[in-house]
Amino acid sequence: MPDAIIRAQGLTKSFDKGDLALEDVSFDIYSGEIFGVIGKSGAGKSTLVRCLNFLERPSAGEVYFQGEALSGMSRKKLYQARQSIGMIFQQFNLLMQRTVLDNVCFPLEIAGWKRETAKKRAAELLELVKLSEKAGTYPAKLSGGQRQRVAIARAVACGPKALLCDEATSALDPETTRDILSLLRDINLRFGITIVVITHEMQVIENLCGRVAVMDAARVVEIGGVREVFSRPKSEAARALINTDGEAAALLRFLGKNGVSIEEVLGHVWHDN
Amino acid sequence: MFGMIIKGLWETLYMTLFSTFLAYLFGMLIGIVLVVTDKGGLFPVAALNKTLGLIVNLARSVPFLILLIAILPFTRLVVGTTIGPTAMVVPLVVASTPFIARLVESSLKEVDSGVIEAASSMGASPLQIIYKVLLPEARPSLILGAAISTITILSYSAMAGIVGGRGLGDLAIRYGYYRYQSDIMLITVAILVIIVQILQEVGARLARFLDKRLK
Repeated sequence: MPDAIIRAQGLTKSFDKGDLALEDVSFDIYSGEIFGVIGKSGAGKSTLVRCLNFLERPSAGEVYFQGEALSGMSRKKLYQARQSIGMIFQQFNLLMQRTVLDNVCFPLEIAGWKRETAKKRAAELLELVKLSEKAGTYPAKLSGGQRQRVAIARAVACGPKALLCDEATSALDPETTRDILSLLRDINLRFGITIVVITHEMQVIENLCGRVAVMDAARVVEIGGVREVFSRPKSEAARALINTDGEAAALLRFLGKNGVSIEEVLGHVWHDN
Repeated sequence: MFGMIIKGLWETLYMTLFSTFLAYLFGMLIGIVLVVTDKGGLFPVAALNKTLGLIVNLARSVPFLILLIAILPFTRLVVGTTIGPTAMVVPLVVASTPFIARLVESSLKEVDSGVIEAASSMGASPLQIIYKVLLPEARPSLILGAAISTITILSYSAMAGIVGGRGLGDLAIRYGYYRYQSDIMLITVAILVIIVQILQEVGARLARFLDKRLK
C-alpha cells in the first residue's frame, strides 16, 4: 500500500452540550485515491471532514497530513498546510462580490502570488473547468453546476495534494451531479490529487470512490473497498444505506418477487464489469 | 437672512460630515472587533466581546442631550472649547460611534458563514478574512449603514443650539421658534429635509450599484 497522505487517529469531537459528533474515528487515506465517507445526516460526516483540515479542532485524537501532525503546527504552518488541502462545499461558498476569475484568484492572493501570475493561473483553471467565457461574470449569474465548477477551480488553484468534498453534489440535479463527478475523476487522474468525498448519496460513492468508510452515530462502522462494502455489508448502517437507496430498494423488491437473491445479481454485474 | 442660512448650512455639513467620518472610523473598528471576538467568530475572546458589548449598550442608552452636556469637560479637553461646530463634533462622535459599531456589526454578520469557512479552508488568516472577505462581501450593506449613520448624525447636530454649536438646527430653534420667525424655521427645515433625501438616495443608489449579487 502507498503512504497515507491523510491519517486520522482516534478522532473524537464533542460539542459544548456534551454530544459526541465523532467518537474514536481512525483511518488512512492513501495518496492518489478517491476515498468516500457515507452516512445518514447527523452521523458526523461534516464534523469529520472539518477535522481533517482543522476547521474544527478535534477534542481528542490526531490528524496527520503527509506525516505531520496538524495539532503540533503553528498557526502559520497550519494555514500553509490548508493551502495544500482544497475544499469544496454543498453551497459552493463563492465570494458573491467578486467575478468568477477573481474568485479563482482568491486562494492565490492568500498564498501570496503576484496579481498578474495569479490571473494567468486562474484563467488556465477556468479553461480546465470549461468556464473561460464566464471569467468576468459574477457568481449570482451562474447555475449551481457552474458555481460548483468555479469552486473546484478555486479549490485546486494552489495545486493542492488533497481535495475535500463536503456534500459537493447534494444541491445539484442528477445530470449536473454526473458532470461534477466526472470533473472530479478527471482532476484525480490528471493531477493525482487525492480526493475525499463526504456524501449521503450511494450513487456518488459508487461512481467515484475506490474505498469507502460508513459512518453511523459518530463512529466509522465499516471501511473497505466500495464493491466489497456494498455487496457484503457487515454493519447494520451499511445495510440500511443500501436498502433506503431508491433504486436499490426497487431492485430488491423486483428480485424478491422473482425469487432471486441480491448477492447473485451483484456477483454477475461485477463479474461482467 | 440668506447669508445666515448659508453659513448655518455650511456649519451643519461640516459638523455632520466631519463627525460621520470620525465616528465611522471608530465604529467600524469596534464593529469588526465585536464580530471577530464573538462566540463562533474568527477569533473568539468572550471577555473582550462582553465588555465591549456592554460599553456600547451603555453609551447607546444615554440620551444625546444628556451626553452632550455630561461630556462638556471632555470636549474642552479635546478641542479646547465647548462652543461652536468643532466642539460639537466631539459629542457627536462619542454618541454615534456605538450606534455605528452596531450597524457595522449587523452588516458583517450578514456575510454567509460558509464563505468565511471556505476562506479559512484555503489558509486565510483572520486578518485576511476581515479585509478580503468580510468587508468586501458586506460592502453594499455597509454603505447603506453609512447613509443611515450620516442622517442620524445630521439630526443629532440639530441639537447643537443648546450649547452654542450653531448650524441649521440652531437657526431653526433660535430664530424660528424663540423669535417666531416661521419663515426661517420653514426654510431651514426644508433644507434639512432635502439633505436627508439626498443622503438616503445617494447611499441606496451606491449600494445597489456596487452590489454584484444584483447583476
